[in-house]
Amino acid sequence: MNNLLKKLQDFYISPRWILWGIGGLLVAGIIHVSIILSVPAYVPDSPYDRVGGFGADRIFQVLPPILPRSEPLPDLDPSMRHAICRYSLENGPLIINTYAPTPFWSLGLFNENGQVTYSLNDKTSEGEAVRMLVLTPQQLSILRENPPDDLEEMIVVETDELKGFALFRAFAPSNAYLPQISQALRSATCSDLPQI
Amino acid sequence: MTHTPHMPLVAVPEPETTQIYDGETSWQKPWPRISPLLYKAPFFSFGPFLFAVCIALIVGIGSAYLSLNRGSPFNALESGVWVAHPYAGTIDSDPYSTAIFARTGRVPLGSGEGIAFYAAFDDSGRALDPQCHYRISGRVPSTRLWTITALNNALELLATDAGRASLHSHGMLMDHTGAFSIEVAPEARPGNWLPTGGNSGLVFAMRLYDIPYTTGAGLSAPVMPAVELVSCK
Repeated sequence: MNNLLKKLQDFYISPRWILWGIGGLLVAGIIHVSIILSVPAYVPDSPYDRVGGFGADRIFQVLPPILPRSEPLPDLDPSMRHAICRYSLENGPLIINTYAPTPFWSLGLFNENGQVTYSLNDKTSEGEAVRMLVLTPQQLSILRENPPDDLEEMIVVETDELKGFALFRAFAPSNAYLPQISQALRSATCSDLPQI
Repeated sequence: MTHTPHMPLVAVPEPETTQIYDGETSWQKPWPRISPLLYKAPFFSFGPFLFAVCIALIVGIGSAYLSLNRGSPFNALESGVWVAHPYAGTIDSDPYSTAIFARTGRVPLGSGEGIAFYAAFDDSGRALDPQCHYRISGRVPSTRLWTITALNNALELLATDAGRASLHSHGMLMDHTGAFSIEVAPEARPGNWLPTGGNSGLVFAMRLYDIPYTTGAGLSAPVMPAVELVSCK
């Protein structure tokens, strides 16, 4: 015991190394935080760009079924069928019309970075078709001066995110549902406001 | 270079040295005790500086890399082995979730749509293996629809011989209380069989759609089914 104490007493780290080590740990924390915060800006293709690869903007593009090794987008549910519509509000407000004759369907709005800004499911619309108006606050104030007749029946989503995409998910319980679901996905619309 | 006296790491009381100074008889005063802190040492020296730079780079980059390959530690809902991040992928997500989702490009479920729970371990804490036989039993919170999917470690859908890697609640055998038992194995099993395959890891994704909690206030983890290992080849 005494021997060990003696050895410990002889064991010596200069305070200079300890202080520089603590300083290094502080700089490591700064590096850690700056890497975590800068990762989203350095991703080569943003979700918005990737969604653009499915086809033209402002049309619901039906995604292929989710199969192994050919998933159109990561982390989608294989029990669902999807349609996606990319838009930019610089080209005016957007009206989304969706309905699917299945036990469950849902609609999500995403911003340019692929983050959900608004989402609803078929229960929100009490089983009927959803009519959603997506626009910026400025466009809404212009629209209020001369509102369309059915403005009250629409779900109005005000957003500051100019670019984004809408994802329409429809649950396919079995293959028997597939014809009507693909029909519903194809007939979902994502279009400009009708000109008055 | 000036000499720096070695500071011991362990304080051991020095043996009693009684120094008696008697001005009348002693011819020399005892040497004054000077604090070692008063000795002069250079502030900058190359060795410790290099040490600090190495620590900063290795610890900073390493910890950022590790935390991006794991789930975010913030706002996690945990229920047994199941973990969900309800705010991840939304505009309210924490910086770790934002970085993880940006890096993988995953498409999240919105709060109005549902919530996705993931399990990468069984109840005894071992990582899931797609060649083993697991039993997922219990019940899930009452929802209109839930699905369970077998993914690999990169969260890609498993390629299986059965041609599917998912089950949903509308095609599930349950008893009258809503309890179920899912057999997860690479070979066909009686009952609710969730096929697996490959050898690049196994993660279960359980998506609960239109779950009441997301529309209500407050976060409380629901009771989720148990994942137990039955046998391993």
